[in-house]
Amino acid sequence: MALRESVQASEGSDCKPDLGVVTGRADGDAGVRHGEYLVTLADAVARWRWDEVATLRERGVDSMGSKATRDAILVASGFNGITRVADAIGIRLDSRTASNSVDLRATVGIDAFAPTEKWVS
Amino acid sequence: MTALPVDPATSAAHQATLQAIAEPGGWWSGADRLAIVRATRTAPTCALCARRDKPTATANDGEHDNDGELPPIAVEAVHAIRNDSGRLTRRWFDDVIDMGLLPEAYVELVAVTASSVIVDTFAQGMGLDMPELPEPVGGAPTLERSDDVEDAGAWLPLAREGRANILRSLGLVPSALKLFFGTFRRSYFMAPDSRFALGRAQVELVASRVSAVNGCFY
Repeated sequence: MALRESVQASEGSDCKPDLGVVTGRADGDAGVRHGEYLVTLADAVARWRWDEVATLRERGVDSMGSKATRDAILVASGFNGITRVADAIGIRLDSRTASNSVDLRATVGIDAFAPTEKWVS
Repeated sequence: MTALPVDPATSAAHQATLQAIAEPGGWWSGADRLAIVRATRTAPTCALCARRDKPTATANDGEHDNDGELPPIAVEAVHAIRNDSGRLTRRWFDDVIDMGLLPEAYVELVAVTASSVIVDTFAQGMGLDMPELPEPVGGAPTLERSDDVEDAGAWLPLAREGRANILRSLGLVPSALKLFFGTFRRSYFMAPDSRFALGRAQVELVASRVSAVNGCFY
């Protein structure tokens, strides 16, 4: 979860992405080129809404090109798998990942995804 | 709606994943591992999963849609991981183990399920059919278990080495770890030849949104 660091590295240090876009608490492009489209596509892929994905695919080819659209689907597919590994093994947050995601966790309330019963039998 | 062309490297990697699944693993035969993929594919239409408000392994609330190829507790695990991973709890995991699934077999099941989720999500996302599965390769599981693990507060021991817990997560069964990350690596900045037509921030935005949709704490 290095979104803010990535944006600042690639867009300049003054760029502050709106992390609320990630959890749908805010609209917009999060300060990322084609961000609004990418969030919509990621959402549709993660929820396996294939009719919606088909429409978005064509929109993506027109706006970003076929390779970028393909790569967005590839990334979304990969994270659809790795989130399942993380949740099915019950891993804890390590210090490296925690330090990379301080802003994101605070802004979007990701800790709510880890209720007490996640680790207490 | 037209499908998008798949680049040869990703196509080869995903085909290699399916072929690896068809071979005997540490705790499941090749036929079993392919049955896990089929169970992953049928999970979205499972009637029991649809009427549950959260995962439960108590097994007294009905039977998952399945073809009888896997033990019921394995189908429970596959369907819960596929359909509702964000709400899995320690109690659910303990029930799965108490009902007879060995921890090592569970780790391998997680790897096969999550790998098939990647392959099938990508194919369908590109507008293609889910790939055909290869024939199973005969042979017995190797009963592989790593001793190079430690308690890191997760439900299972993690590999001792690794930059982040997610990279250590499947370490109890090294072949499971290799299978999953061999599949995942093309989807992120892990492969030496990773070349995305997206910028880093765009990749992270997609990854973050998918994690949020799946309710993933990590």
